[in-house]
Amino acid sequence: MTESGFLSRRAFLAGTGATGAAALAGCIGETGGSGDDGSAETTEGGQSVSGGITITGSSTVYPVSVAMAEEFEKANSEVDISVDPTGTGGGFENHFCPGNSDINGASRPITDAEEENCNENGVDPRQFQVASDALTVVVNKDATWVDSITFEELAQIWRPDGAQQWSDVRDDWPDKPLELYGPASTSGTFDWFTENVVGEAGSHRSDYEATEDDNNIVAGVEGSPNAMGYLGFAYYQENSDRVKAVSVAEGDASNAVEPTLENAKSGDYPMARPLFVYPAAGSIQEKDQVYEFLKFYIEQSETDIVTEIGYVPASADLRDDNLETLEEIRNE
Amino acid sequence: MSEEPARPAFAGENRTRSAKESAIKWFLFVCAALSVFVTLAIVATLLFDAIEFFTRVSPLAFFTGTNWSPKIGEAFGVLPLVTNTLAVTALSALVAIPVGTASAAYLSEYASDQVRSVLKPALEVLAGIPTVVYGLFALVYVTPALQAVGIPVGTFNLLSASIMVGVMIIPMVSSLSEDAMSAVPDSLRQGAYGLGATKFEVTTTVVVPAAVSGIFSSFILALSRAIGETMIVVVAAGMSPQLVPSPFGSIQPMTSAMVQLATSDLAGGTAAYYALFAIGLTLFVITFSMNVASNWVASRYREEYE
Amino acid sequence: MATERSTRDGSWYGDGEGVNQLRGQLFKWGCLGAMLFGIVMVFVLLAYVAIDAIRPLTADPGWHLTFFLTLVAPTSALLGYYGLRDRRSGLVGAIATALPAFCLLVGAGISLLLVDVFRPIEWFGTAVALVVAVGVVYVHRRLRTEPAAFERPIVTVGALVLAVVGVPGVVPSLSQLFRNAPIALNPATMLLYSFAVPVAILTGLAIARRRESRRDGLIAAALTVVGGVLAVIAAPAVGIDDYLLIVLSLSIAAPTAVYVEGVVRERDHLVGLALPIVAYVGTFLGAALVEAYGFAGPEAWLDWQFLTSAHSRFPQEAGIYPALVGSIMMMLVIVVSAFPVGVAAAVYLEEYAPDSGTVGRVVGLIEMNIANLAGVPSVVYGLLGLALFIRYADMNTGSVIVGGLTVGLLILPIVIISSQEAIRAVPNSMRQASYGMGATKWQTVRNVVLPESIPGILTGTILAFGRAIGETAPLLMIGAAAVVFSPPGSFAEKFSAMPRQIFAWSHEPSAEFRYGVLAAGVVTLLVVLLSMNAAAILIRNRYQRRS
Repeated sequence: MTESGFLSRRAFLAGTGATGAAALAGCIGETGGSGDDGSAETTEGGQSVSGGITITGSSTVYPVSVAMAEEFEKANSEVDISVDPTGTGGGFENHFCPGNSDINGASRPITDAEEENCNENGVDPRQFQVASDALTVVVNKDATWVDSITFEELAQIWRPDGAQQWSDVRDDWPDKPLELYGPASTSGTFDWFTENVVGEAGSHRSDYEATEDDNNIVAGVEGSPNAMGYLGFAYYQENSDRVKAVSVAEGDASNAVEPTLENAKSGDYPMARPLFVYPAAGSIQEKDQVYEFLKFYIEQSETDIVTEIGYVPASADLRDDNLETLEEIRNE
Repeated sequence: MSEEPARPAFAGENRTRSAKESAIKWFLFVCAALSVFVTLAIVATLLFDAIEFFTRVSPLAFFTGTNWSPKIGEAFGVLPLVTNTLAVTALSALVAIPVGTASAAYLSEYASDQVRSVLKPALEVLAGIPTVVYGLFALVYVTPALQAVGIPVGTFNLLSASIMVGVMIIPMVSSLSEDAMSAVPDSLRQGAYGLGATKFEVTTTVVVPAAVSGIFSSFILALSRAIGETMIVVVAAGMSPQLVPSPFGSIQPMTSAMVQLATSDLAGGTAAYYALFAIGLTLFVITFSMNVASNWVASRYREEYE
Repeated sequence: MATERSTRDGSWYGDGEGVNQLRGQLFKWGCLGAMLFGIVMVFVLLAYVAIDAIRPLTADPGWHLTFFLTLVAPTSALLGYYGLRDRRSGLVGAIATALPAFCLLVGAGISLLLVDVFRPIEWFGTAVALVVAVGVVYVHRRLRTEPAAFERPIVTVGALVLAVVGVPGVVPSLSQLFRNAPIALNPATMLLYSFAVPVAILTGLAIARRRESRRDGLIAAALTVVGGVLAVIAAPAVGIDDYLLIVLSLSIAAPTAVYVEGVVRERDHLVGLALPIVAYVGTFLGAALVEAYGFAGPEAWLDWQFLTSAHSRFPQEAGIYPALVGSIMMMLVIVVSAFPVGVAAAVYLEEYAPDSGTVGRVVGLIEMNIANLAGVPSVVYGLLGLALFIRYADMNTGSVIVGGLTVGLLILPIVIISSQEAIRAVPNSMRQASYGMGATKWQTVRNVVLPESIPGILTGTILAFGRAIGETAPLLMIGAAAVVFSPPGSFAEKFSAMPRQIFAWSHEPSAEFRYGVLAAGVVTLLVVLLSMNAAAILIRNRYQRRS
């Protein structure tokens, strides 16, 4: 090794050391300076807002929030929105209640324990229903025998020790084994279906093909003429050429309603699961960007942005109620 | 970053210098000891919440239960997750161990320098690909390919995920085993040649047995990596734990159950949420003891050549 | 193997039925085949994902023909020639071709930081403040030749801290002052001073050393600055902001020019330089012809739009930009946290740690512990990050700094182990020579051991960083966002990283996301990662050849 090589490496070391130290210092300076992302600059009309918005929560609400954020960003590029599907419960527990998130999406109402947890940390969650998800029962395209089904029949199939054969449910259905596909037990879709269709919570059968990815339900049902599954309408809409949707009746089979977004919006379709967002009251009052975003979110929750995703938009009444509530919270 | 000229000075010449020296020494020691802190922090984190879990669910029910269903009926038997993890590990070992050992033997005994200079970086590429990408490979390409050749696998299945885990750990087996084989002194090889052995015989009866401790410890390390592998199984192996897994169907190993629990709709503060840490602790204990075993095998059975 | 072994005990080698070549050959080719199985499989998958990302079949046949004639055919012919006749020139050509592309990536990375993280004024302020700090330290060294205990380190650290950080709430930092000072400079001028000048100095030093001529170095430095000025002039025509063009053009031109100058000067394998010329001229010619004849290119998912826009619910409009910047910022945090600590730990373990006694036992424990930590699953590190940084230290969920520190802890054992290996490779004779001249331990480490081992340390560390950039599970645990629409404005803000974004796309219902956008994201991630690996391998090869 020559002397010059030595010197240059020493110089290199010194250089990297200095740069590293400087960069580290820069980081610290940067963090210290802008640690509070709630500082928003408001102009007169409140039109131009900036700052960060953190959205966590249910992976079912996630696509709606992403779409809303995308549209909101087009007009308000100064606002940094991050959306993360942490799950409803994970979002409340790890992010929202500790005060690290402004809005938590939820595919079920908040539990008392969660609300308590939030309040202990000085976070006040407020509920807004922004859309609903029309759960859809799908069967194979070749399953010509079934066009409609009632809640009671669904319960017969999906409860523990439920029906093994199609003919166990209705006499004119064939003597073929039921192959069942559904969402994994940790999903909100599963919860809602269990609670509202099958019966009391926790009484869903466990011997079915459970999957976290609804595409898998489509693939499974498409693959076998004896299969049945339930999933969110969005996945059915995306794959309506591959599987057949079944009309559902809450009571008598003759009242069965076809799963369409119109039917769900009008309230006729019985398997529409409400989707919520829970903003923190503090965030709405202190952060203009959160308030503006929520206003936008609620206004748009009645439009095609929601329909395109395959969810059921809020009705005009619900939207107006929500806007009113939002103003009340803002002015508290 | 002083740039003083190298003037003649003796160690411990003045007190300033020795104070500075010992300050530096302590600073460096703290950096090294940080790793101990990390281990303690991991153990503390996991233990703290796992104990919370075990106050709600008895350890006996957790470790001997055969049904993992945190939501339906709150069944917290970890055994299905463990068997699924073992299934992934075993199947991936079927891929990685023969391929990895053969690669090591080829690189160490047969390859010319030129061939080695091409193949070694190529193997390193395998090790460098992020695991989430391997998972997507399994889901998007391998599974359809298996279906195309008539293997009845589901969208999410044990087989394609294990193949990809196996491919991912090949470089680990091959590079550590090759190191062990290269460390076998040439005198042993020449001794065998002198006795009339062929290259094949030298490789299989001299080099491999002499390096067997290193090869074995590479297996253990690679398998512990397979046990802890997360993204491949999350993306490609599915979410339904089976006590007796089928290679063609959906399963759920421990790591993927952890990710599912951490990102699901579970209500916080429930037993299911704390189960995350109990599984984490189980996983940590398994991988940690395997790593200890690997080190032990490597040092205990190492044949020293001088 | 065990059965084979038992045959050794009772018999001599080769005394059986004679030498059977077939068995040996089968074994040899079997081993090679097994090895190629893994490699080929992964490369086939990589080819698939690249095809999905670029969709070459959607292009006009004319497009393919044009590029075949202008680019592929001449390059292949040239490569064939190198392969048969002149491999060394081929290597020179390959480096000369790859270098600008690689430097473009680096330059683009710096530009991203300039656009989104540090504004030019911040960069400039920090650079000037650093110069002042270094000046102060230098003057202090000159004036105080007999410093008191710790005087020098205190002055050095103090100067740097005052320059960059200041005392929060009391004394603003020097760089802050410069930032807020009414400096009537436009971004281009600031970048000329704070980027072009340092690059020029480095270039000048490199040339001056190689040619052993101060004058040539000065000329090279001057040329670099002129290049920066030319970039400002050319900017309106190119259509990029002038200050960015300075960064981009200089980061490509300076290293390439230095390399080419070396080849030309040595008159060594000059033929190799034909390759970059043929390749780049072919590319531009092809592009021009395609434009002129109106041949449609492939409808690639991976295009400029993908690289520069954020996620969208429409696959055609989706992009990876914020996640790309997020990954780079996370890497910065890892570099400043894990790298120094890891190297310091390695230095302690290799140079200072005693072999025996109580401390020796503790050190043995630490070493074993580090080896074990390297095998802890990444998802467990995610839980650690969640508990340590978010719950106890109360940092922002999913912020860049939490992500960087968590992944930094994950790669720390790898950094330590590879640095230890590099340090161990320094021959003892060099240390002894240093001690023989009266150097203390630290002087030996600083002046001998570290400079000698830095290439090895860098190689191992860059590989570890490659692992870091692809880690996903810890990011899921600490709540890094699946989707952000603009890059994080500071290190305390939420971010998304490339693998996190890719994982989010894999859940999208539409096939266009799962096959198209996803593939484009994977290719982007792999290009960044493989170029990091390539850099590591280059450093290693260069280093190996020298020793």
